[in-house]
Amino acid sequence: MNVNEEKMQEVLKKRGIEAAMSEAERSQIAPPPEGVNKLMDIYYVLKNTVDMEIPYWYNRVWWENDGDIINIRRAKAFAAALSHATPNILPYEKLVMQKTKNVRGAFPFPWVTASFFNAQAEALMTEVDAPAESEADRVSIVGAGGGNVTESYGNIISIAKKFGMRKEDIPVLVKASEPWDGCSVEELSTKLAEYTPEYNLHKNLMDNVVCMFDSYAIPQGREVINYYYPLQYGWDGIIKICEKGIHDTMGEAGTDGILGMSRGYYYLATKIMAEGMSKWCSNYAKKAEQLASFETDPEIKKNYEEIAGVMAHIAHKPPETFRQALQLTLACHLAVVNEDPQSGQSIGRLGQVLQPFYEKDIEDKVSTDEEVLDLLQYYRIKITEIECFASAGVTGGVLSGNTFNNLSLGGLTKDGLSAVTPLEYLIVEAGMRTKTTQPTLSVLYDEKLPEDFLMKCANCTKLGMGYPAWMNNQDGIGFMMMNYRSEGMTLEDARAWCLGGCLESAPGCFMPLTYNGKVTWIPGGAGPTSGTGVHFIGIPKVLELVLNNGFDKRTGKQVLPAHNKKLDSMQAITDQWQAYLRKIIEVVNKVNNLQMDVWRKHNMPVVQSMLKPDCLVKGQHLGNMGTRYNATINYESCGTVTFINSLAAIGKLVFDEKKYTLDQLTDAMWHNFGFETAYDTQVFSPDFRKATAEAPKYERIFADCINAPKYGNADWEADKYLKWYEDVMFPMTREYHSYYGKELYMCQISVSTHGPQGFITLATPDGRLAGTTYSDGSMSAAAGTDKNGIYAIFESATVYDHSTQQNSQMNLKLHPSAVKGIQGTRKLLDIVRAYMRKGGFHVQFNVVDSKTLRAAQKKPENYRDLMVRVAGFTQYWCEIGKPIQDEVIYRTEYETV
Amino acid sequence: MKHTECKYYINLDCEKGMCGRTKKMVPIDGAGSEACPMFDQAPKCGVCGHFCNADKYGVGMCQGFKKENWAYAGCGAFGCEKFVMK
Repeated sequence: MNVNEEKMQEVLKKRGIEAAMSEAERSQIAPPPEGVNKLMDIYYVLKNTVDMEIPYWYNRVWWENDGDIINIRRAKAFAAALSHATPNILPYEKLVMQKTKNVRGAFPFPWVTASFFNAQAEALMTEVDAPAESEADRVSIVGAGGGNVTESYGNIISIAKKFGMRKEDIPVLVKASEPWDGCSVEELSTKLAEYTPEYNLHKNLMDNVVCMFDSYAIPQGREVINYYYPLQYGWDGIIKICEKGIHDTMGEAGTDGILGMSRGYYYLATKIMAEGMSKWCSNYAKKAEQLASFETDPEIKKNYEEIAGVMAHIAHKPPETFRQALQLTLACHLAVVNEDPQSGQSIGRLGQVLQPFYEKDIEDKVSTDEEVLDLLQYYRIKITEIECFASAGVTGGVLSGNTFNNLSLGGLTKDGLSAVTPLEYLIVEAGMRTKTTQPTLSVLYDEKLPEDFLMKCANCTKLGMGYPAWMNNQDGIGFMMMNYRSEGMTLEDARAWCLGGCLESAPGCFMPLTYNGKVTWIPGGAGPTSGTGVHFIGIPKVLELVLNNGFDKRTGKQVLPAHNKKLDSMQAITDQWQAYLRKIIEVVNKVNNLQMDVWRKHNMPVVQSMLKPDCLVKGQHLGNMGTRYNATINYESCGTVTFINSLAAIGKLVFDEKKYTLDQLTDAMWHNFGFETAYDTQVFSPDFRKATAEAPKYERIFADCINAPKYGNADWEADKYLKWYEDVMFPMTREYHSYYGKELYMCQISVSTHGPQGFITLATPDGRLAGTTYSDGSMSAAAGTDKNGIYAIFESATVYDHSTQQNSQMNLKLHPSAVKGIQGTRKLLDIVRAYMRKGGFHVQFNVVDSKTLRAAQKKPENYRDLMVRVAGFTQYWCEIGKPIQDEVIYRTEYETV
Repeated sequence: MKHTECKYYINLDCEKGMCGRTKKMVPIDGAGSEACPMFDQAPKCGVCGHFCNADKYGVGMCQGFKKENWAYAGCGAFGCEKFVMK
């Protein structure tokens, strides 16, 4: 430790802050427990796998109950699926349960979407009947791609370029999918969507990837789960609540002639589901007993016996220890992520939810902090194992293979005080010791949070895993109060908000947990998905269509109706851009509403509807607006800053300085400024340019476009367009209503869509070349264009009120030397604080050397555990597609802050 | 017999698992996939007394429940209340 660091340590200690680490201390972060290391060693060599056990049982029981009330039928089917799934326990685990029998397992949902499997049935069966490849080919494809099975080999067939399915499961997949031909959520909603007035336009938008997401593909997620009822009552207690509900409401409509009768059906369905959950847990207890019966290693045997005890207890009763409570939350989480294809099922503020159990264990000396830390590290592995099976476009293009199970920290209590708990320190510490992609961590930054906690979080961020990310608690509360006031949200409930998915602010509430002789108000989710809606609209592409009269030169199709207007002013351009965007939202929203309405009527959540307040009180499932808050559906954009910079370039070069005509600019764009496109070069980084013979012709205009004002430099000539854009979008999104009859609002995260949507967009006026990625997030400067330092980006980003939208997203890349030592930690926290005080909503960091990333791109097999922050999530480098890798490498790297 | 049919087999992924006794990884296919003398059959539909008429893909009929329905041999039956070893 150098002299300066020692002084800093002394100052901090005098202020009661002891969590900050020097470099020497950093190297002394305790290693994970031996069992965690063994499990991670296994994890790193696993393939993503889909199998058919759960779909088989769901399918069987669903069709055997043909004619039953849908809600009850769905509960019977899903309860049967979980209770028949093969329990699987690895020798070193302390927390158990998996989505499927395979560790990184998932399964298809033909009742949600069957068209792909039915269309491919013949081809898939042909693969099954084909002789196996040679013995050499049977071996796994290792190296680049990590756990992704991108090609078929041996007896394994690649599905969606990510999962491997064994050949013997294919006939089962085909047979299970057949009955859903024409009646899956996808196909039913598509049939209805064809009746919408401009369905062909919707098809155009999807085919040309102006919009790139169907809501049915992942209808749940981007929301916060709620563990209150199982923690308070256990499954047996919930069954009793349902029995009372059945007694009180079956055959009674009350005063609600439309939904009143549904209450009895809801309680019956929920009772069936709670019984299924109980049996699922019991099966794990039995499996652990079986494993213990033949285990010869005394330590492992003891562990199996403990698991059996925990699982037998939580199969019926509410938890009595921290370990039981944590295991129960995991059971709930896995059940929810199994009832629909989904991503972004957030854990919420787990350190506050489980604090009473932790506190009692420590008081009673049942556990030590180290034992709790161990469990939290095992927990990280269990959450990292969660996979989502969806189409290649969704899993790769949108999600980058991540499922965004976000865990939030901090924020405020119901009474408006710091909500930080001692357990949350351990959660951060667990994230420092065991570096896994999930759960990612998010700090709900508030001025009231303890300084030592913030420093500990900053220390964790410095380690380079991309977590925790930092969100502005006051912005979140402000957004909650504005968006949910009409549904009666109070300030107390607003304080229960946190992140659903990676960055989707989601409503919550506090529930009174009675435990250890006192009542603790614990936060949890209180609304359905905050992430399905009109997704994702590539707004630079819309600008391209404006400039080319609705015609897509890349595909040769007239995507939007020709506007035939003379674009002789910025006003004319921005007016037409708004007109096109309005049309897009109108058309996509109608189809989205149909997709989600069919989903909620035919595929309503049964576990989630048990967990989320106030479903159990109202006697209504989530599709019938059983949750407390329902104005959650949004519009989601992609490519904000590419769009802003493009407007700035047009404004300056064409209309202010009149240096070029609009025709000259678009001619240069359509000719990619004289360079080869990324389609030809397969390099998606904005800094890669390979000249063609036409390059000299466009050299001057290209230089002027590159040098035009850019967002992120505290330059009003660019930033004024961001202000204009945000002011326009706020009322525009609220002109449209979701299937819940509530106004939409704007979500501004790109996830990974800036890759594929950049791919389909020709060169843009800001000098970005065709096919390269858009700027990431919504507040990040376009890579390489921020020249004035981090504080200039903060100035640019805060030209509007961030609490008016669901979120904003800023990614920053710091060289590790910039935040070295305890002074570096302080600097990092100062950066965060500066942005939050200016009203910025979110900032996250990659603390990594670009040289390392380039080396990892060349030899991914040497960097299996390297993680980076992409948009709102952390992912293994080797499991990310090349366009996004290129984009992350090219992000501006700050060597000083 | 293969490791995957054994009750000591722990599932990992589509190409391998782990022996619950030795804690070693074992392949599903090819060399090394044959079970050892300690083999003990795991409960699966294919070895259930209620399972019959399997076709070449292992898809047959389950007669264990009130309603007869199709089933497949490779399906795990640890949690099945009607499973009876053949």
